[in-house]
Amino acid sequence: MATEVADSHGHGDVDYNAPYLTAGKGIKSWLLTVDHKRIGVMYLISVILAFFMGGMFALLVRLELFAPGRTIMSAEYYNRAFTLHGAIMVFLFIIPSVPGALGNFVLPIMLGTKDVAFPKINLLSFYIYVIGATFSLYSIISGSVDTGWTFYTPYSTTSNTSVVSMVLGVFILGFSSILTGLNFIVTVHKLRAPGLHWNRLPLFVWGMYATSIIQVLATPVLAITLLLLAAERTMGLGIFDPALGGDPVLFQHFFWFYSHPAVYIMIVPGMAIVSELLATFSRRAIFGYFAVAMSSLGLALLGFLVWGHHMFTSGQSEFSTMLFSGLTMLVAIPSGVKVFNWTATLYKGSIALTTPMLYALAFLVLFTIGGLTGLFLGALNTDIHLHDTYFVVAHFHYVMMGGTVIAFVGGILYWWPKITGKMYDEKMAKVSWFFVVVGFNVTFLIQFIMGSKGMPRRYYDYLPQFEIYHKVSTVGSWMLLVGFLILAGVLVKSLKSGPKAPPNPWGSAGYEWQGTESPPVFQNFRETPTITRGPYDYHLCTEAELFDGFPEDAPKEG
Amino acid sequence: MATAESADHGHEEHPKFLAHHFDTPAQQFDSAKLGMWVFVATEILMFGGLFVAYLLFKSQEPQMFLEAHHRLNREMGAANTVVLLFSSLTAALAVRSSQLGKRKQTSALLVVTILCALVFLVVKYFEYTHKFHDGLLPGRFFTAHLPEHAHNGHVLPQRAHMFFALYFMMTGLHGVHVILGISILTWVLIRNQRGEFSPEYFTAVEIGALYWHLVDLVWIYLFPLLYLVG
Amino acid sequence: MSDNHAHAHDDGKVHAHISSLPFMVAIFGTLIFLTFVTVKVSYFDFGSANTAIAMLIATLKASLVAVFFMHLKYEKRFYSFIFVMSFVFLGVMFFLTLDDISTRGTVDPDNMVRTLERTGAQAPGGFVQFVAPVPAAGAHGAEPAAHGAATPAPAHH
Repeated sequence: MATEVADSHGHGDVDYNAPYLTAGKGIKSWLLTVDHKRIGVMYLISVILAFFMGGMFALLVRLELFAPGRTIMSAEYYNRAFTLHGAIMVFLFIIPSVPGALGNFVLPIMLGTKDVAFPKINLLSFYIYVIGATFSLYSIISGSVDTGWTFYTPYSTTSNTSVVSMVLGVFILGFSSILTGLNFIVTVHKLRAPGLHWNRLPLFVWGMYATSIIQVLATPVLAITLLLLAAERTMGLGIFDPALGGDPVLFQHFFWFYSHPAVYIMIVPGMAIVSELLATFSRRAIFGYFAVAMSSLGLALLGFLVWGHHMFTSGQSEFSTMLFSGLTMLVAIPSGVKVFNWTATLYKGSIALTTPMLYALAFLVLFTIGGLTGLFLGALNTDIHLHDTYFVVAHFHYVMMGGTVIAFVGGILYWWPKITGKMYDEKMAKVSWFFVVVGFNVTFLIQFIMGSKGMPRRYYDYLPQFEIYHKVSTVGSWMLLVGFLILAGVLVKSLKSGPKAPPNPWGSAGYEWQGTESPPVFQNFRETPTITRGPYDYHLCTEAELFDGFPEDAPKEG
Repeated sequence: MATAESADHGHEEHPKFLAHHFDTPAQQFDSAKLGMWVFVATEILMFGGLFVAYLLFKSQEPQMFLEAHHRLNREMGAANTVVLLFSSLTAALAVRSSQLGKRKQTSALLVVTILCALVFLVVKYFEYTHKFHDGLLPGRFFTAHLPEHAHNGHVLPQRAHMFFALYFMMTGLHGVHVILGISILTWVLIRNQRGEFSPEYFTAVEIGALYWHLVDLVWIYLFPLLYLVG
Repeated sequence: MSDNHAHAHDDGKVHAHISSLPFMVAIFGTLIFLTFVTVKVSYFDFGSANTAIAMLIATLKASLVAVFFMHLKYEKRFYSFIFVMSFVFLGVMFFLTLDDISTRGTVDPDNMVRTLERTGAQAPGGFVQFVAPVPAAGAHGAEPAAHGAATPAPAHH
């Protein structure tokens, strides 16, 4: 807890009312910044790099599967490629993506505060992320990892690849996640602007809050699990080794006690973004605000009770299996609450089909498919048939990519003018949306069919009857690549030559749009705002007033 | 956060120890404490994983755990318990004297706390070396079940290495926390010596003490589980 | 010492409870007493209640530390809520894992097989291990169970 150190004033000659991007000059002013916005930007750059690296491994995997037998790499390298795809995407990209990048940038502004509660710990969290990422990437050059991102024992204790370095990397990354979560919890509790009651919190904040609870409570269990795994590998500890009296299924219990809640660390932020996008571009208050807020917390808590559904075929006891299957069905309740309320928000809304909104709508459809196919896997009898097939792969890609990544991209585009102060080419962004969404569905929709016909996941080779499915899926992955490259081009062009963004280009009623400039000044607000309305009170003003600023928000004289 | 305070800087109400983004000292103090309590929850879950593993394996092999734990030194464990409890008291009293503005007394109490932590580590060192000597090492280095390590003619059950695997992981992780605690308390001590704390601002003393109590809390559970298996 | 706590937001100044010295020492005395008790109690055999009793005393001690040394009694109730919830989540982890792991049975130390307590039958899902006599000159650093190569599990697959 180093934040209270007396030199917190020591920003030296920084102009508090200059745009944050130029408030300090030079590389040092970025690397040593405690400004949540700059840390958010550094996270954003890091996770985008991680995304492209993980995506590269995905393309390699898909390319290898284009034809049966050896296509471009040996089976050994194939195992490494899918492991690195999973590990990088999960630990280096998705988990830090929304909280680290967008959460860091937007959450304090939404709360009407100058920074997160512990700015130095926030910076520390970023550097821990960098160190953890370095360890993970070191494992790639020192022999790589071929265990799958789940590091299941006993294989992970015997595999002769560089497991320890990867495990230590993930262990370290976990602390970055914990510190971000801790910071957000305290910020939401203690640093809300005057008048910002809990029932006026934007749903993005509610989602981040729920995510933070999971990060803080689940991640330490991953840490201890990976520590035990590292000790098992280096010292033959025996906790997970049946020959020594241990229990390999215990590893799965421990691992999924973290990693199932971690699925909600990934998806709840996506939902949080979508709530903002739908409200802004429908010009309506989120239908059932309270229910949507509570369903985030509900998902966070239920996430801790259902991990055993990853272990139905592991030899877990029948009673556990039934219990976890039953509990899993409960997850449908908060998920359903969200989807129905979002849909109801659209009803009679004044919908503007901007690119972020298109991403939000894609999220609605894709997440619904991902969620509903989850029921097949949560139900015991169908899971016996479907487990470890491409059906599972398709299911979680619909949730993780169709859900979180789509929402994340939507969020980046939505807040891009606020972050950079620049607008982007809306037309080309829509083209990229088309390629991403179509490419995604071409890649993964067919995997449901392939999986239900019995194609196992993670296999290097396959029977001829699956060839057509794999070919289509691989072609889809190329469309995804095209989509993301266009998107990258759109963003780079915007940085270089994008027109200057007005403070509120979308006409959103959100606090972060109404109260700040684009980009915001170093301390976010020239005057500490006083909140007198809800975040989605579109009924309080006319369309023109949305762009000019809420009448209520105008600074009072005297 | 009572007032919409003007953003202009360097006015008198903003004391030196108050960070820019906080409005009042109370808000800053409460934030630090809330953050620490959330961190305490994180730590409890982290040690919790080991406790869960311990209880599960103990439920499977109660007899082995009973026999294996006789190789631990109860006296040393009990002595360390008393040392840690006492250091917890001095840490709590350091907070108290810091609240009262007694800087020298605070320093003295912090020094006693740090010394207790060092005593704890020294005792632990002797325990560990003794275990190593007896072949009671973690994992594949465990040789204590071999006849040459028989204790008064009593050979350990073969699987006793499981007990010691857990023993070393639990006490090892706790030991790391003791070392971290020493570093944190030393940092607090240095700042106290510099005169940074006052009855209005003693956050770091409070947070450091909370961390130290946490280290004590974990040991309170470790001691009966490892040394007093029934 | 007066109880001048609990009006944190009146004037924005820090108001924390200041504990009285004799009271803190009394808490410390109680903790030492409870340590003594838990050591003494461990010499009596209460059967399966042994661990429960030890845990009960430990929880009592931990509560004293948390409530008085860590000031939970004088703080916002929310901190106590966080503290208690961390144990609740730990309980979730323990019991939902236990309901699986407990079906592996207990290890019969004489025969080194896992048996189900209720029926005495060999446990399903667990791993049965036969332990050969330990060779007299065991190589240093040998894996403890390396000699007792695992026999195939009983025919439950």
